[in-house]
Amino acid sequence: MFSRRCVDEAATQAAGEDFAALLRPGDVVLLAGPLGAGKTTFVKGVARALGVVERVTSPTFTMVRQHEAHNDLGIETLHHADVYRVESLGEVLDLDLGELVEESAVALVEWGDLASSVFGREVLTLDVVPDEDGDARTLRVGGSIDAARQAALTRWSRT
Amino acid sequence: MSLALAIETSCDDTAAAVVDSSWHVHSSVIESSIDQHRAFGGVVPELAGRAHLTTIAPVVRAALEGAGLDPHAPAIDVVAVTSGPGLIGSLLIGLSAAKAYSLAWELPFVGVNHLEGHLFAPLLERPELEWPLLTLLVSGGHSLIVLQLAPGEHVVLGETIDDAAGEAYDKVARWLGLSYPGGPEIDRLAVSGAADALNLPVSMTGDDFDLSFSGLKTAVVRATQKHPEVALADVAASFQAAVAEQLLRKLRRALETHPEVRGLALAGGVAANSALRRGVGEIAADAGVGAYLPSLAMCTDNAAMIAAAGLHRFAVSGPSDLGLSARPNWSLTEVS
Repeated sequence: MFSRRCVDEAATQAAGEDFAALLRPGDVVLLAGPLGAGKTTFVKGVARALGVVERVTSPTFTMVRQHEAHNDLGIETLHHADVYRVESLGEVLDLDLGELVEESAVALVEWGDLASSVFGREVLTLDVVPDEDGDARTLRVGGSIDAARQAALTRWSRT
Repeated sequence: MSLALAIETSCDDTAAAVVDSSWHVHSSVIESSIDQHRAFGGVVPELAGRAHLTTIAPVVRAALEGAGLDPHAPAIDVVAVTSGPGLIGSLLIGLSAAKAYSLAWELPFVGVNHLEGHLFAPLLERPELEWPLLTLLVSGGHSLIVLQLAPGEHVVLGETIDDAAGEAYDKVARWLGLSYPGGPEIDRLAVSGAADALNLPVSMTGDDFDLSFSGLKTAVVRATQKHPEVALADVAASFQAAVAEQLLRKLRRALETHPEVRGLALAGGVAANSALRRGVGEIAADAGVGAYLPSLAMCTDNAAMIAAAGLHRFAVSGPSDLGLSARPNWSLTEVS
């Protein structure tokens, strides 16, 4: 488990920006954390580093938003999903995120922990754990981490 | 004069209406599946899709009969339908139905942007209102400030950079253990609460017209964890005041920046909010401009407004292609 402490919203976004560098086409990242923890803030950082030009807003209403990305990681699309409103796993299957990321894309799924069984074991997880007091929070990365990513995550967590 | 049948299924309501090009509403029917969603604290997309499937034909029939038309061969000129933004599964049902009716009755059909539909509500309810209008469009999925120069001619001055206002209401309500939809519950509780009980930040104090509610949502979570003793009504009142303060402050600034504006308008589900209605009325009175506060039926999603926008789009750009697809994230800035 790799973790990184973020003192405020700006630090959370910066952690997202740094995290983007270790993403590869096909990745699915499940984000967990309570209401208002900073999940969308983290995604905003990732999107920025992936070269998404348009504004990243909450995908709760339409469940998934697609953003065109411009970077040298081979990631052309960022799927930003939110399964907050979903009550049956069948609906998450219907979104077909596993299939969507096959084509030079990555998916970041807010409240993804609620539907982790749909995504299988080949996913990254990111837990946002807010402090009881104040604005600080701790980000914890887990899931399917290979050797190359382990090194990158070690650097990420030391920043 | 032309007559439109419109279908609206972008979220949880199945709606159909018949409206003519003088903005007279001949019929407007809404079937809500909200009771099914209440148990889940939000709209459940799969439930919404299934509900639309069973209600769409009876709702369309009721709208046609309500307008005194033959439900098998109605004497209308165009079939209008919401083709975005909204839930993909829900949109597809309305869009497919509209295409089927259009083929069966050999009538043109036109896809309408749901948000542009909301912008046509003043024409239906307050045709005498002077334009240009400055419109605050706030709902569960959207929050925008729009300058409406003329029907169908609009400029988005600003919009939310994170959550929609109604989404913040729903999420805070769920956090507080209130029932869905959260807006009316918080509004009701806020009446008896103290708005200064919690010290909540007013976001987005900059000079632009963009909005933000995510930080406020986080602040409510933090404040209620820190001060669990604060009464629910006081939390509701403090939250409601912070939402209204941000929206009204931006609206006031937009009005100052655009002195050509002759009227203020509220639109969308959050337009039912009492604090917003009061605030918009006060700003309009202070500035000596008109105010359009939609009826409750017009705040919620309805097909009459889609018919009005559809008549306009059809007159300006002609029919849509039958290959038109649903656009779940169709922005108002892309409408032309």
